[in-house]
Amino acid sequence: MPWPTTRRVIGTRVQRLDGNEKATGRAKYSFDINRPRMLHARILRSPHAHATIKTLDTAAAEKVAGFRAFYLIKKAGAEVFFAGDEIIAVAADTEEHADDCLRAIRVEYNVLAHQVKEADSLRSTTNTTGGAGVTNVNAGGDFTTDNFENAFAGTAATVQADYGVGVISHQCLESHGLVAEWDDKQENLTVWASTQAVPNTAEGLRVHFKMKPGEVKCITNYMGGGFGSKFGPDIQGIAAAELARTTRQAVKLMLDRAEEVTVGGIRPSAFGNVKIGGTKEGRIQAFEVDCYGTGGVSRGATVSFAILPYVYGPAVPNIKRLHRVVRTNIQTARAMRAPNHPQNSILTELAIDDLAARLNVNPMTMRLANLPPDDVAEAKTNPRGYIAQRGSIYRAEIAIIRKMCNWDRDWHVPGAQKGTIKSGMGMALHTWGGGGRGPNPTRVTINANGTVLAQSSSQDLGTAQRTLMAIIIADVLGLQPTDITVTLGDSSFGPSTPSGGSTTAPGTSPAILKAAETARDAFLTALAGRLNVQRNQLSIAPGVVVNAANNQRIPFRDACSQLGVPNVQANADWPTTKELQNSAPLREEWTTRLTNQGVGGVQIAEVKVDTETGIVTCSKFWAVQDCGLIINKLACESQVAGGVIMGLNYALYEECIFDRVTGRQVNADMEFYKLAGIADMPPIQVHMHDMPERGVIGIGEPPTIATAAAVGNAIFNAIGVRVPIAPFTPERVLAALANRRAGNP
Amino acid sequence: MHDHETLESGPSRRDFLQETGAVVAATALAGAATMESPAAELQPGTGGGIGPNAVKITLNVNGRDVQTSIEPRVTLLDALRNYLDVTGCKRVCDRATCGACTVMLDGKVVYACTVLAIEAQGRQIRTAESLYNDGKLDAVPAAFVRADAQQCGFCTPGFVVAMKAVLDANPQAAPAQVEKGLQGNICRCGTYEQMRDAIYALCNTKRGN
Repeated sequence: MPWPTTRRVIGTRVQRLDGNEKATGRAKYSFDINRPRMLHARILRSPHAHATIKTLDTAAAEKVAGFRAFYLIKKAGAEVFFAGDEIIAVAADTEEHADDCLRAIRVEYNVLAHQVKEADSLRSTTNTTGGAGVTNVNAGGDFTTDNFENAFAGTAATVQADYGVGVISHQCLESHGLVAEWDDKQENLTVWASTQAVPNTAEGLRVHFKMKPGEVKCITNYMGGGFGSKFGPDIQGIAAAELARTTRQAVKLMLDRAEEVTVGGIRPSAFGNVKIGGTKEGRIQAFEVDCYGTGGVSRGATVSFAILPYVYGPAVPNIKRLHRVVRTNIQTARAMRAPNHPQNSILTELAIDDLAARLNVNPMTMRLANLPPDDVAEAKTNPRGYIAQRGSIYRAEIAIIRKMCNWDRDWHVPGAQKGTIKSGMGMALHTWGGGGRGPNPTRVTINANGTVLAQSSSQDLGTAQRTLMAIIIADVLGLQPTDITVTLGDSSFGPSTPSGGSTTAPGTSPAILKAAETARDAFLTALAGRLNVQRNQLSIAPGVVVNAANNQRIPFRDACSQLGVPNVQANADWPTTKELQNSAPLREEWTTRLTNQGVGGVQIAEVKVDTETGIVTCSKFWAVQDCGLIINKLACESQVAGGVIMGLNYALYEECIFDRVTGRQVNADMEFYKLAGIADMPPIQVHMHDMPERGVIGIGEPPTIATAAAVGNAIFNAIGVRVPIAPFTPERVLAALANRRAGNP
Repeated sequence: MHDHETLESGPSRRDFLQETGAVVAATALAGAATMESPAAELQPGTGGGIGPNAVKITLNVNGRDVQTSIEPRVTLLDALRNYLDVTGCKRVCDRATCGACTVMLDGKVVYACTVLAIEAQGRQIRTAESLYNDGKLDAVPAAFVRADAQQCGFCTPGFVVAMKAVLDANPQAAPAQVEKGLQGNICRCGTYEQMRDAIYALCNTKRGN
């Protein structure tokens, strides 16, 4: 079952099927669900970054107009670990009354010492972040190559400096939360949740309520952004469902903006002292890094520096990594678009350009000299994988982007421009896995009335997953994507993999293809019986079934009407994990031909830096990206441009700022937590580097990774001074310029 | 009245509106016919205005008069979403920063999160839903769809209404003028590049590099 070699719809630019509904506000997101007699719920949260609850008095709140029920999340005596930690949820007849109830609750706290700054927590010798059996600082996976002692001996130049990037927030526009409703007998629960994992969210609630399989249903027809932060019901989802059970009424609980920023997810910070040395030709000889970052109150699995030096690791002979995970009284970090990669990109790519400048080597030449080599051993088992051809992929993509941006004409030596406003160009590379897996059962039904229905329980986060399903099926059945009716986002259909790590397109596409082909075959077999011809006399062509017996071209709809049965239906899914383990041919087909994993990607930024105000404007941006076989070129380009814009946001604007004294985030909003508007963004030129022979690979994460490092390097190229910490704000640019004027290196 | 134990330290916008609601409402009453609620809704002891209890109001939403009962502190956004099930306008920042709640009030764009519902009486409220009628899609959302200027789509109705208002006011607007009209809106998925394609298509202008 290979991908069709002639692709009529696959790989073209297809508008998303639900575009009209979304653009005119008729699409119902979970936040938009209003059920009969629905109550509204809100959560009272700790204002302290670290405390224990002394007393909790709800008497006054119970007398507030509209009050219906409480759900206690933390009892008196419990410890809270960050400002925003949940205490108690309340349901009332209106949102206004739910707010009134919150204001009437009295809580006394025993306030404890806290840490919200990584550097403070790193220095603290006592367990000031709280919790039993937890320390502020945990060693990460330190690593040193053999004989590192003399690693820097004989280098033509060595640079040592600090780099980093702070904590940022997912800022999903549709906040976390759900609407919960029980049936009359309180035996079945339905939730409309904003989630990246429809079956997982149902399962999380099922486990919480100790219910039987199938008794919880999760529906997510439209979803307003997750970026890695929405994989289960969360505390607010459980609270809503509990309150709905207590009150026997539907309950809506969606976080408000301050809550969304405070508890809806953060990306860990990363700071490191990097020492890098190279030969005069620009080959990196040694890379040493001592780094730390915080994933909030989580124990640290969410911060990983194990891929340093990023991308170029396999080409660098001497590597040393020291790595500490710092605990702080901030919400637990969640996966965020390409977890760990953007941070590692900044710690690697900025240092490389500083070394290139010291060596007087063009940064593009420097990167070409340090590309990870194609892996010969890997080529034997997965010749179409990233590892087997990574060097070749990057070389091809660099050649493309070099022409797109006119690098040879427009790049200049760092700081070479005169004048107040200086422009510069910078580049960076990235990689991501993006492989798929099952289970992702998919059903295709061809109805006698000519309609075609596609079903899965997967979710469309704005990735155009609905459209992807329709494209593949349309290609197989000779139809247009608009001919296919797609239903997804309903857990009662069956399992599906969560949409995280760019796994949805590769995880679902082969099952969709197989279901479509199986349905087509069943359709033609049934039709052959009705037409009294051999099955192999019938074939599909655009819009028609071709009967070779009489050279008749039967319009698809007419052919359906001749089926003689209400419909033909096919179900398909991935082979099981065990089947894949036991069968080399199955593994080859599903994981190296239909799908694969590992992509490259090159990005280049052009910036203008005002050396009087410190304001950085990204004036142009170029991105070259591969993702194997492209299903929808339009949606792919949207993903890449969107990833770049998210990267530009954390390059220039975004940062969670915590107040050392109160332990609270001071910008848990959208006015002081800066996000770009349309005027802030440059034109972005995207080139999809199509490699159809590789099968389907995910595209969600990669395009956001290299962006900030490319911008950082463009700023360095413009002003000849390194601004080491992202976001590269006017304050930091001016500080770097002042530092140089003061004579510091 | 503000509980120091709640997360927000200062008075929230909502509290502020609640406190000033009486004054605003009185102004609306002085404006006469816009306030439909009968005198019985007046609640003495609150400065001679209305509230804090719910009052009946009539809003003209997408050309249709609809009635509901709300407390005067309820914003136009929450009245539309929570009381009238008009959900094309989205609640995101809820304080006039992101533009997801953008609607037209007598043809002018406003952040519905920052207008009281009672103030919107007697005025023409238009939301994104009005741009699809009898199977016919308005040119603005159609351009968004063609250019793929939306991903998750949660911000999109706000952008669409903002763009529609610019083009309604000036059908000959140049791309830069249309783009200026979108500067009060924020998209998280990063669809600005495709939005520019949509703008140029609507302005019948070829986009250079």
